[in-house]
Amino acid sequence: MDRLERLVNLVIALRETRVPLLASDIRTRVAGYGQDDHEAFRRMFERDKADLRALGVPIETAPLDRFGDDRLGYRIDPDAYDLPPLDFGPDELMALALAVDATGLGATAAGGLRKLEVDVGVPGLTRGASGVGLEVPLAAPHLEALAEAQLTRTAVRFPYRRSDGQSATRTVDPHALVHRSGRWYLVGRDHDRDATRAFRLDRVAGDVRPVGEPGAFAPPQAPVDVDSVVPAAPTGAPATAVVEVSPDLAWQVARGARGEGEPAADGWTRFTVPVGDPDAFASWALGEGPHVVVVSPPALRSRVVAALRRAAEQP
Amino acid sequence: VTAANQTLARLERLLVVVPWLLEHPGADVAAVSARLGVARDELLADLDLLGYCGLPGYGGGDLIEVSIVGDHVTLRMADFFRRPLRLSLREAVTLLLAARALAGVEGLAESAVLARAAARLESALGAGADGPRLAISLGGPGEEHLAPLRTAVAANRVVRLTYRSETRAATTVREVEPWSLTAAGGGWYLQGWCRTAGGPRDFRLDRIRELAVTGETADPPPAPPPPPTYRPEPHHERVVLECTPAAAWLAEWAMAESDVPARGRRRRITLAVDHLDWAARLVLRMGDDVRVVSPDALAARVRALAAEALDRYGDAADGSPRGA
Repeated sequence: MDRLERLVNLVIALRETRVPLLASDIRTRVAGYGQDDHEAFRRMFERDKADLRALGVPIETAPLDRFGDDRLGYRIDPDAYDLPPLDFGPDELMALALAVDATGLGATAAGGLRKLEVDVGVPGLTRGASGVGLEVPLAAPHLEALAEAQLTRTAVRFPYRRSDGQSATRTVDPHALVHRSGRWYLVGRDHDRDATRAFRLDRVAGDVRPVGEPGAFAPPQAPVDVDSVVPAAPTGAPATAVVEVSPDLAWQVARGARGEGEPAADGWTRFTVPVGDPDAFASWALGEGPHVVVVSPPALRSRVVAALRRAAEQP
Repeated sequence: VTAANQTLARLERLLVVVPWLLEHPGADVAAVSARLGVARDELLADLDLLGYCGLPGYGGGDLIEVSIVGDHVTLRMADFFRRPLRLSLREAVTLLLAARALAGVEGLAESAVLARAAARLESALGAGADGPRLAISLGGPGEEHLAPLRTAVAANRVVRLTYRSETRAATTVREVEPWSLTAAGGGWYLQGWCRTAGGPRDFRLDRIRELAVTGETADPPPAPPPPPTYRPEPHHERVVLECTPAAAWLAEWAMAESDVPARGRRRRITLAVDHLDWAARLVLRMGDDVRVVSPDALAARVRALAAEALDRYGDAADGSPRGA
């Protein structure tokens, strides 16, 4: 018998049963299983169950619970199976399809679009939708697994490559996923350090495995403040700096500056600019070379001058 | 695609097609198969198989009734498949990600519609502290150019950019045939054919000082547009740099042609560059973490740039800048 036929029959039988079905009931009653020996049946049933669950079919394990019978059976709760009406309009579904195309998340999201199309009444409505004119690549390894772990409040364990190239195992309660500056971060409580940390998804160096049961931790009450977690600015760092920039660079600096710039000598402009990460700020000032002068704070100014000196005197 | 995956893909398709067919008795098989992008025979074979499925017992009143007359199909006795399968957590959260990301893009016409779609998905996933926590910040300076550039990309309109090049730290006016817009690494990029340079180029939106969409229509881009990556070319100059572990990421970031261990835990990397000035600015930016091995011309350029910059600080390192 075709495996597809057996799977359809299994879904129907589990959905329509009043009491959970024992594995032995399934073997004798569901078309497609009966003729195999016990061991072959076990393997076949385990594989079918795993594949259906991976598709999202909610197969539950439940005690038979009649006359003190505590054996475990299987069933599908129709309420957990049925897509609730979400009332998507065709315009919303089209926009969603364009967003999926623009973000490159189709591998996982396309199946969801197919289901929602049924409710809009137009199968295949969004197939091949493209042309939003933007590319916002968001697909990343482990993204879906971590999002699922965050939603189900399941701790995860994964090998993580630190910035010095060494690898270590991390166990984390996933609190949030944050995309910033083209990178995904997992924010959560690091079990070993008992502190909130951010982990770059591109440094996860192997499989993400669930640890323990779902619902194992309470999510933090406060929303995740992206700026406070990624990147972690050193405490006590100067908040702003005063710079003078060449006419060539002025318009670009003006975009991120606090207030209007003031004219300086030689047609240059003096700006007050925010300093996020002092290292990144110093790198920027050095890279712009003769187009920028750091006026204050003194610590940043002397740091840039010292680096320029070393560069000027390098053999 | 393995046979197992194929079976599951067929099942997934059936679980979507059956609810729709139950709602639309007598639906046209050819139309449905065209819409779903499935061969007609394949769809018919799957529907035919359904006729052998049903409730345990599998007798007269238990099986799904499938009647195919001409090209019209009607299903009965399949009430258990009246609704599509609920969105899996992964599907819902991935759809939500896509909706949230695009809804946040400034000046996008679809933003309001996407925000509504996102709200529906959030309610499906359960809101509040137990719901999905996703924060996406794509933006960056230069977003104000997105809306006009989208229009230009859609209509193949030539654009004129006043642009401050990263390579040479110089501002020039360029004519560009726009191909696509991409968010990468915290910035927005325009890819297109730069008529001024006579080649494909990427432009960071925050480096565009002025933008004019001209009335001139360009040829449509070669399909598909080349990916927005830098490709070393044979005529480019090779520069060799020595990096500390803190700068080891340079090899990947700058697509080094070679990356070998050097003294200590350093790496020696070779880059192909089309402008020595770009390399010199990179070396300056990296401070003590990068040292020039060769060519001598690059080392000289780094020294000259640094000396020129120091000149603006005046003679005393901690003195006031010239003119201040």
